Amino acid sequence: MRGSPCFPDVTPLVRKTLLCFGWLCLAGGAWAQDAGLGEVWRNLADRQNTAAQLALAATPASAGRERQLAEAVVKLGRQPVTQATLREAEGELAQLAQGNDELAAQAGYLQARVWSVHMQTPDYARAAELYRALAKRFPTNHWARLGLVKLGMLTLYTLPEPADPLMRLRTVETMMPAVAEPPLQRDLNLQLARAAVLFGRPETETLVYLKAVDRVGGLVGLVAEEVVLQLGELSLRVGRLDESKAYFERFLRDFPTNNRGYNVTLKLQEIAARQHAAKGGQP
Amino acid sequence: MKLRTFIKKRFGLALIFIGYAVSILWVFTRSDPIIQKRPVTISLAHWQLERGPSAGIAAIIKRYEELNPRVHVEQQMVPDAVWKQWMRSNLAGGTGSDIMEWGMWLAGQKDIPARYFEPLTAELKQPNPYNKGTALEGTPWEKTFHDGLIGPRRDSPDPGQIYAVTFTEVSTRLFCNIALLREITGSDRAPKSFDDLRKIFEKVHAYAQRTGKRVNSLAGSRDNGIWIAQNVFSGPLLKVNYSIDESGYLYLYNRQVLAAYLDGKWRYNQPGVKAGLQLIREVADAMKPGFLQLRRDDAMLEFFSGEAVFLYTGTWDATSLRQMASFEIVPMRLPPVTPDDPEVGPLIKGVGGEGQGETAMAMYLNKSSAHKAEALDFLRFATSVEGQQLFTDASLWLPAINGVKLPEPIKSFRDYQDGYALGQAPYDVIGSEVSMTWLRNFYQLSGAQGSPERFATVLDEAMPAAIRKDLQDEMRNTLLLVKPADTQIVAYAELAGETPEGRKAATRQTETEAGQTMSEGLAFQMKEQLERTAIGK
Repeated sequence: MRGSPCFPDVTPLVRKTLLCFGWLCLAGGAWAQDAGLGEVWRNLADRQNTAAQLALAATPASAGRERQLAEAVVKLGRQPVTQATLREAEGELAQLAQGNDELAAQAGYLQARVWSVHMQTPDYARAAELYRALAKRFPTNHWARLGLVKLGMLTLYTLPEPADPLMRLRTVETMMPAVAEPPLQRDLNLQLARAAVLFGRPETETLVYLKAVDRVGGLVGLVAEEVVLQLGELSLRVGRLDESKAYFERFLRDFPTNNRGYNVTLKLQEIAARQHAAKGGQP
Repeated sequence: MKLRTFIKKRFGLALIFIGYAVSILWVFTRSDPIIQKRPVTISLAHWQLERGPSAGIAAIIKRYEELNPRVHVEQQMVPDAVWKQWMRSNLAGGTGSDIMEWGMWLAGQKDIPARYFEPLTAELKQPNPYNKGTALEGTPWEKTFHDGLIGPRRDSPDPGQIYAVTFTEVSTRLFCNIALLREITGSDRAPKSFDDLRKIFEKVHAYAQRTGKRVNSLAGSRDNGIWIAQNVFSGPLLKVNYSIDESGYLYLYNRQVLAAYLDGKWRYNQPGVKAGLQLIREVADAMKPGFLQLRRDDAMLEFFSGEAVFLYTGTWDATSLRQMASFEIVPMRLPPVTPDDPEVGPLIKGVGGEGQGETAMAMYLNKSSAHKAEALDFLRFATSVEGQQLFTDASLWLPAINGVKLPEPIKSFRDYQDGYALGQAPYDVIGSEVSMTWLRNFYQLSGAQGSPERFATVLDEAMPAAIRKDLQDEMRNTLLLVKPADTQIVAYAELAGETPEGRKAATRQTETEAGQTMSEGLAFQMKEQLERTAIGK
């Protein structure tokens, strides 16, 4: 018998050569597919949505669930953003979230984000429900923990329940252990501190949150400077002079170019005068 | 006869030929070369048409092109009168320059950085390679700036991200026609307090009336008026700001001032704010009537003509003044309003500060640039010790970074007033709508018919809607950053790994998550404040 059902009229040598070529093509295709998705993610990280879209179009549809995720992510940023596209992306993300892996957690997180910030009319209740479900399904996954931080913000500012500001703060506090990762806990504590100021809670309460932020550290930009400044000023307002002095001194040492240095120098003079007066000297 | 027929028949053809020849000539002599000698061309656009900066930037470009033979840099100078429209239409059309100047005070342009510019945070953490062999070698790029880039960090639409690097440092000064001051007051002593200045204003007014000469204390224009108004307004506002600083920042952001107004925590007709309006009226009355209709060039002209004793402007005009004036000019600091001021003293907390100087002329990297790497490299050179020395020497503008030798004529510009920091802005420029409402009603403050009381009453009637609109815009602009960050966070997560690039992506993921959470929290806070204070609630 000569040939095979696929190659009926060729010699075994030619057949082998063709098979080798076929394998090479497949391997090359797989490599190209990897490079393609890498290009998509690089473009998305670079905020180049159109370039990401083009790179995505060049990758084969057989690239699997990661490609489907990339497709949904590209849709979230495709201009002009329409509600129809967002709904389409949300549907795809919901489907991907059915799995039981990292990609499913990522998709589940993004699905909640669609309802929380992307839709023209956000549905905070739906987003909250999705964040909660994600935390339940993937309690140790980063995306679920990040989702809890976002749920915390929804609880503080947008959800109808609990209505009492104090209860909002307490509810979010209970999420902290499940958030688990220190940078995420820091970010949630910063939100609690800001909400405590907004709700008019006592400075002592705000200080607890700010100290938790400071313990983790790692903030970038002016926020890092302002946390130290707030710790100094709020400590002074509640009469914790030694603590306040330490924070203000740290501020002057670590952030010498901040234009609030003069204010802080005067605060330190005020603290010195009060401490002197407390020891029986004249203020 | 034959020739005439020939011409008649071939006239069209001849016309086409002549047209073609002229086009060829034009292409080869007037337009860009068909083949660029350098494969990469990047462009830098700015609105600084004063004397100085263009020469400074040209000096940087010349040296940069020597060091980088494959890159050509074009300097595009666009008048500030058309800058906003030019910038937005080019950015929207994808034809924006690779590097562009932007300032947060540009009315109605707050969304620009988030939409069109690239954050430079990660790059700023690395040393600037062009500082090799200098005292700044190995220092993170961000730390080489004289003020640590406080402006770009404060004005960043995305907390934690830095979008710009600065080329210079500016301060404002009272430039004095010293001979005229001597002639009118009998002294050339610089005023030490605002009350001293007030007395000079009175003497100049009396002199003008006595002699019939056309002379004002301050050269007037809308721009110069706004600059001096912001300075004197800030004095009394310090006390007001500190009374509503619940966060303990010792400083207030515009969004906080806007929200505090909606919460009823301050009003234009409260004594502290009205004291500021009183001071603005005093400086406005020291300018010629109708100054709001004039631009800064008109004020310059008035000053050069010897019709004004002082010109209050930024050090950005110093080079022009030095080169164009026919008389001696002495830069002086605008004296601060102090707690012992006889008019508004009890409402003054202390002296407002200039900080340690704030760097300016912020340059942003266009997100859509086709040559991002080259544009970024140029920004590095322009803000290196060598680049800034070239800039400073050629422009006589202050440098933005440390380690640059200051030419003698500009050394005094770094003599800053130490004092309290106020916040992002005084209450006339806390938002686009607020600024427009302020200017629309300004006539109620100055002149014979105007008064602080009248102006304050009008503002408190008109401002609630303007302030609400500005806070809504703040919220919308903040949300603009939140949405694309989702895409970025997921992309960084996919790129994260054990390679150097992968580790960089992991760091960017963490930073973007933190920045997004902060922005989102602020947007939700503003939403809550807007809803809580909505009309009818």
